Amino acid sequence: MALLNRKSKVSDEIPTASMADIAFLLLIFFLTTTVFEEEKGLPIVLPEASAIEQAVSQKNIIHFLVQQDGAVVIRRGESQAEQVVAYSEIEGIMRQEIANNPSIIAAVKTDPDSPYRHMINVLDELQKANAERISLQLWER
Amino acid sequence: MAKKRGGFEKKSKAASEIPTASMADIAFLLLIFFMVSTTFRREQPRHLSFPRAQATQKIDERRRNILHVWIEPSGDVYINDARIPMEQVGEVVLPLYRESDRRLLVSLRGDRDVPYRFINSVTEELRSANAVRVFFHTDLESRLTRERR
Repeated sequence: MALLNRKSKVSDEIPTASMADIAFLLLIFFLTTTVFEEEKGLPIVLPEASAIEQAVSQKNIIHFLVQQDGAVVIRRGESQAEQVVAYSEIEGIMRQEIANNPSIIAAVKTDPDSPYRHMINVLDELQKANAERISLQLWER
Repeated sequence: MAKKRGGFEKKSKAASEIPTASMADIAFLLLIFFMVSTTFRREQPRHLSFPRAQATQKIDERRRNILHVWIEPSGDVYINDARIPMEQVGEVVLPLYRESDRRLLVSLRGDRDVPYRFINSVTEELRSANAVRVFFHTDLESRLTRERR
């Protein structure tokens, strides 16, 4: 008799009291682990197609010629004198140029066969120097 | 009499506890809502290695106004998973530019070894479509990890 009357003391229900905690933990886990791919880069505004080509005085232009192997040559408008520079020097040179002439235009001319990263290296240095007026061109010889 | 006596003994019938039985349901509903409403960009990522730049900035623009233009080292251009011949890039971008209410921002995602002629062709095409707001996608380069160049 005693055996028959004995009831199991183990509860036959799944405990749901902590369900909310589990759910919130999952929610917070997903909220914090979701990373959105962020958009980053070097912004630049291209000249509009309808823009009329303006003649710019040569003394307001500084040319950065990017060669196929990544070497950079600076050619100043008037003198046509060429100067080979390292990437790390460009920022300083450009700051100097802007200080001397705020309306100076940095014309980056890249060799058609030069890898894109060389142009980005120059553009990076120019943007670090806060150059506003940048022109990107293909260097056709 | 009964009324008088009961006055002191009467207990508020409103429960003083916040009912937590439905908390799990609320949390799961939230979970499911976020899972369903998160839309991912339906675009296959192309495995390119982007150039690195120290001046890399975060671009604050609504995602739907950003168009990715991928340029493979071979010079192939991909927009929305479709290969676009170079001379048609402008025609493809123009309707997208109009759709975006002229706020289109183009993310130029070129591999670091793309010959520059292809980048130049793409920017010329974008100009013809009036999409003049572009940015060159780069990875942030810190001064410490800067490669020797």
